Amino acid sequence: MKNLYLPIPMKVEKNLIETEDRNIKTLTLSFLNKRDEESFGFMPGQFAELSVLGAGEAPFGIASSPMYKKHLDFSISLAGLVTTELHNLDPGDTVGMRGPLGNGYPIDMLQNKNVLIIGGGFGFSTLRAFTSFMLHPENRKQYEDISVVYGARNPGLLLYRNELSEWEKRNDVQLHVTVDKGDENWEGRTGVVPVIVKELRVDTENTVALVCGPPVMIKFTLPVLAELGFAPEQVYLSLEMKMKCGIGKCGRCNIGSKYVCTDGPVFSLAQLNLLPQEY
Amino acid sequence: MTDVSSKIREEARKLLKNGEVDVIIGFEKGSIPFSATPCFVRNEADTDKLIWNEYCGNNLARYLSEVRGKAGIIAKGCDTRAIVELIKEKQIQRERISIIGVPCEGMLDRKRIMMSCQRKDKTGIEDQDGQLLTRGDSLNTAVKKDEFLYPACHVCTNRNPVMYDVLIGNTIEERKTDDFADVTEFDEKHSEERWAYITDEIGRCIRCYACRNACPLCYCKECFVDSTQPQWVGKTTEQSDTLSFHIMRSIHLAGRCIECGACERACPVLVDIRILNRKMSADVKNLFGYKTGLDIDQPAPLSIFKPDDSEEFMLDV
Amino acid sequence: MDYKSIRKSEITEFLDNLIKEYVIFAPIEKDDIVLYGRIKSGNEVILDYSNSVNSPKEAVIPQLETLISCKTDKDITCVKEHLDEQEQFLLFGARPCDARSLLFLDKVFSDEECKDIYYVNRRNAVTIISLGCTLPQETCFCTTTGGGPFSTDGSDLLFIDIGDSYIVQIITEKGAELVEKLDLRKTQDDELTGMDMLIKKSRASIEPEIELDKLKDKLDRSFEGSAWEILAEKCLSCGICTYLCPACHCFDIVDEERKCEVERIRLWDSCQFPHFTMQTSGFNPRPTYKERYRQRIMHKFSYCIDNYGMVGCVGCGRCVTQCPVNLDIRQVLTSFYGK
Repeated sequence: MKNLYLPIPMKVEKNLIETEDRNIKTLTLSFLNKRDEESFGFMPGQFAELSVLGAGEAPFGIASSPMYKKHLDFSISLAGLVTTELHNLDPGDTVGMRGPLGNGYPIDMLQNKNVLIIGGGFGFSTLRAFTSFMLHPENRKQYEDISVVYGARNPGLLLYRNELSEWEKRNDVQLHVTVDKGDENWEGRTGVVPVIVKELRVDTENTVALVCGPPVMIKFTLPVLAELGFAPEQVYLSLEMKMKCGIGKCGRCNIGSKYVCTDGPVFSLAQLNLLPQEY
Repeated sequence: MTDVSSKIREEARKLLKNGEVDVIIGFEKGSIPFSATPCFVRNEADTDKLIWNEYCGNNLARYLSEVRGKAGIIAKGCDTRAIVELIKEKQIQRERISIIGVPCEGMLDRKRIMMSCQRKDKTGIEDQDGQLLTRGDSLNTAVKKDEFLYPACHVCTNRNPVMYDVLIGNTIEERKTDDFADVTEFDEKHSEERWAYITDEIGRCIRCYACRNACPLCYCKECFVDSTQPQWVGKTTEQSDTLSFHIMRSIHLAGRCIECGACERACPVLVDIRILNRKMSADVKNLFGYKTGLDIDQPAPLSIFKPDDSEEFMLDV
Repeated sequence: MDYKSIRKSEITEFLDNLIKEYVIFAPIEKDDIVLYGRIKSGNEVILDYSNSVNSPKEAVIPQLETLISCKTDKDITCVKEHLDEQEQFLLFGARPCDARSLLFLDKVFSDEECKDIYYVNRRNAVTIISLGCTLPQETCFCTTTGGGPFSTDGSDLLFIDIGDSYIVQIITEKGAELVEKLDLRKTQDDELTGMDMLIKKSRASIEPEIELDKLKDKLDRSFEGSAWEILAEKCLSCGICTYLCPACHCFDIVDEERKCEVERIRLWDSCQFPHFTMQTSGFNPRPTYKERYRQRIMHKFSYCIDNYGMVGCVGCGRCVTQCPVNLDIRQVLTSFYGK
């Protein structure tokens, strides 16, 4: 029987400052043991518990694509005890990881569909993983049109800049990066995510939208999607809740009878509509 | 008792009818024997639920800092002392509460009553003419109700409300002096004996925080024990953590605890939490000549500085 | 069904024999209250009790346990798993409701797809001898939740008090093996007749009041609405009901420095505490007593049926007896049921 509470030992490869306010860093981890690396497999949208012994554990979405097996990325926003410790890690340090946890994005049902990715701020991490997964040469032809709407409060808060500019150059993905408020150097789009989504005039037929971002973005984006003609079955959200065990036992992340850690974190809007509004 | 209940209902009805309060916080009949339970009455018709008996042990002032609107409260001596402190500490406003004061001859410990008849040779217990009659296969014993008084009620010095808008019934005679005999007796024990007693008592603590949550003065939005940044106290049930919690809590209540005993009543494993708080009360009395919950204009001794404050802790260099 | 008998006067000796092989957890009296605890000798056990203040869940989910530890701070490469071999554990004198609660906990911690190794190790080492309830208390409602005063669910052996002796009902293989080792006498026919009458009488005294399926249906339709706010207004948000409950199992995982080691420990937590669901951002999906009390009831009587096919309550009545403000779960359930 496997001990589900035992973290996999990982080595810090990089700990990159992502944002100008230094609040978000992206940790790149590699496996210390070859055996762990070989047995580890995950789907985009899944998460893991990262742990620094002495500080504790916290859940983070896996921000890198499963097509790149050697490294795992986690974007970490500075908030509490664990995230402070994670921010302080240097290359060569060790860190624990329990995962993969949760269900991930509905890859099977997205085959041969148009995919609309809608991300805001820090919530973009697992969507980045999935976009990167779809754009991989081995996978790209399994999806029709791919559009990405990604917004941040200001240009300094945009994550994964290098990757965004690579995507910008491709013609098999429509990238719409936006900021709420630009600065003198900002030449891109300005405006909040829901407004940009509305302007897209997407053909909802055969399209599925994947949404992750701050509550306020979700609140205003969902009505826009409905207006555009998305049925609740065509909209997926990745949710965040306070978690401890990550395996559906400790009892705190449930919404109705569903546990975000095991039944989620990705739910269709149709599923969520059947659950109580307690999240 | 029933007379007091009907007068309470009458006053409550008046307050609601005149729109002086939005809610009355009182007691209704409990669901189990020998019990009464806090209730919130918002319309005149429901005032008939209100009762008064010797099982109204909860300190209702605990609800005042949370309840919305103007509140009327049925208050014993200890409840009113808590109200005084809450006003002093600016948690509630005097003009937003109406106090229906009720003199109190002490409340009975439901749990001990039930426990006294739960072993199998006894089959039940009944209240008969002011005595509790234990029925059993082999014996019927009558026990005086006084034997089941809560420990805090035994040493209560404010059986009459210290502040009220209406007083139900007549005042009753108070005990003449502050009786800290229990503290003195405890003080006189050898330190090892005191340590053994405290660690044994607190060793039972399961950290359910009922003591804190039942306390009318434990209103902090974030209790030190819940803080994670920094984490002042460990979260385990090991001695160092549980002791830290109880000792820090009692020190936080020094000069504020009104000795109602709500903490001890709430405790499911009957920890003698009060001994710490009683010791604090005795010290505050001896050092500052102060007693809590009597006068809203008298500042709490630990919130002010006086040049002649006792400074025994200072070392002469 | 197989039966044996044992004289009450022989119980101490019976336990003293078993104590050589088992760690025995049984009801004992300490400072006026009856608590489950480890016994050192058979004569400590109290069997003429109604029910203990705490539940025996401590035997399988201790309030505090170390999951992993590490000698030097932060070095994840030298982690030690705390999976010591379990001693054989005997739960003696548990009430049938408490024995039944272990079947529920099994569904949570021992489900095929996601077994909790710490729980499973402990659970496998547990043998349960329960004690039927000839005198259910006023706060008992086991029949409402699917059990009964002589329910055999979860027990390996069930003791039934027939006066001078106990009839020992053999329920599982494990129980039969234990009885093999001991020299128990054959049960007389008249003892069995007496037992049947006692059982009937006891059952009749706690008739079920609620049909659980109907209740779930009504609860599911009552998630919104002001009823919860009114019902739970007096709730103190303390953890008594959850900590004493034999079926409540929510936990926290924290790191603490203990004895020069960094340990990752698991400890009981309660859905009634505001911090339980408080996110680091400060957002709390269950900010007040209303949402928290609703969670407790919905979890037990709706979500658990969805997830485990069984309610998360065995009707032991501890939350009723011990609630400092007499927030009576039976009244709460009835109020929704009646709607």
